[in-house]
Amino acid sequence: MLIADCGSTWTKILDTGSGELEIISTRELVRRDDLFFEVATGHSGKKRCSRYKNELIALAEGSLALVGEGDFSIVDVGGRDVKFIRFAGRKVKKLDWNLACGSSTGATIELLGSYYEVDFTGLPASEKWINVTCGVFGMEKVLEHVSTGTAPENAVAMFLHGMVRNVFDFSGRPEHLYLSGGFCENKCFLETMEKYCSVASLGRTVPLEGLKDDTEEI
Amino acid sequence: MTDNQRKLIGYFGFPRRALLREVRERFSEDLQLVDLDVAAGAPDSGLLPRATCRIIANIVDNAAHLGDRLSAVVAAVGEDKCDRGRHAAWILKDMGLKVFESRFPEDEFEDRELVWSTGRGDLPGRIDRIMETIVDPSPPADPPVRCEPSHGFWGVPPNDFRLLELFPETTHIYGWIRCVEAGRPADLDLECMVDEGISTVFFHQSFCAKQDLAHNLAERYGGIAVDCHREINDSILAKVEAFIKLS
Repeated sequence: MLIADCGSTWTKILDTGSGELEIISTRELVRRDDLFFEVATGHSGKKRCSRYKNELIALAEGSLALVGEGDFSIVDVGGRDVKFIRFAGRKVKKLDWNLACGSSTGATIELLGSYYEVDFTGLPASEKWINVTCGVFGMEKVLEHVSTGTAPENAVAMFLHGMVRNVFDFSGRPEHLYLSGGFCENKCFLETMEKYCSVASLGRTVPLEGLKDDTEEI
Repeated sequence: MTDNQRKLIGYFGFPRRALLREVRERFSEDLQLVDLDVAAGAPDSGLLPRATCRIIANIVDNAAHLGDRLSAVVAAVGEDKCDRGRHAAWILKDMGLKVFESRFPEDEFEDRELVWSTGRGDLPGRIDRIMETIVDPSPPADPPVRCEPSHGFWGVPPNDFRLLELFPETTHIYGWIRCVEAGRPADLDLECMVDEGISTVFFHQSFCAKQDLAHNLAERYGGIAVDCHREINDSILAKVEAFIKLS
């Protein structure tokens, strides 16, 4: 059985039979009529499944499946949105979902990284940051920095630092934070985040974990 | 005279009742009242920047579209509305419309019973009934049964009412809408009053100054702040749906 988290930029597909995980760009997903899932979540999954699950609910249930603690915070930084849940006694205490702001999401970083050909695996965290009140204005500041002599990698690292500060604030400034999503694989992001709190990466499949219970009902 | 030619009296916000009465007496009690806050399909007048409160844009676009059909406009421009309401009134005057400015003073605050805010029933319908009390404050012949709140909706009537369809019938209404029902549109203390322990969505129109209250109160009461510009989209609906289910 195929289940999927169809994000705005990346789609994670799990074959529950073989356990095989495939990650494809959503750019590719939208061009493939053959892809259909038993259970799905994410912006791009609604019309491609037998059963659809709200993605914040999928994140909540996936978190509880992967984290054993009673009290913890998790933030999922996606391509287009950021979701945050704080659990107390394994019950949702607070949640939030920043739906469409580039000041704390992956798509802006991907654009910048792609344009300036930045290798995030080798990029050191920046001590300085650009205030990213808005993703578009933040990008404009990166362009300004580069045009006045800052190395592009440094300017992007500064933007990333500004973005991390937004994510930290959005998550309620916890001492410890579980991270979900593509930034689990971004070393610069993780090192920057460690300036503010301890971080444990859960990878890109937390929402998929939250779909597994739904497969048992089919 | 066809419906499209009939003269109207426009209003926005919650004008002082005495002023609305005076203007109606002066121009004719028979003239239909039209709430300029409500989207009515008017074309974009181009008189405001795009990144502005949609409700204020409705006021200006509606007024520009109705033009000469508006015999007068009664405009809430005080703390009971917002500074942008004051600016909108200026723009309407500049268009050549007869604008009567209203500032709702404390000594005219009423103490009306909160029938719809705390009653059981579909949320969009109850908000509509509250907003109708601006023009007709007579007690309802069909009041809803009072209920304990399961959820809360705080804020102003959204530009797109589809957001409200997600809420259960036992949702209590807070914020400026409650102030309207109480007859105290500038009562900031009442506007910020929320029952503790009730999962509440703090709604504001995008680019509205009330975002400061929504954000602050959402933090304080463990709620969620939601904003929308023009039409509601799947993402906003999913956020509210998740909050209602998980909280």
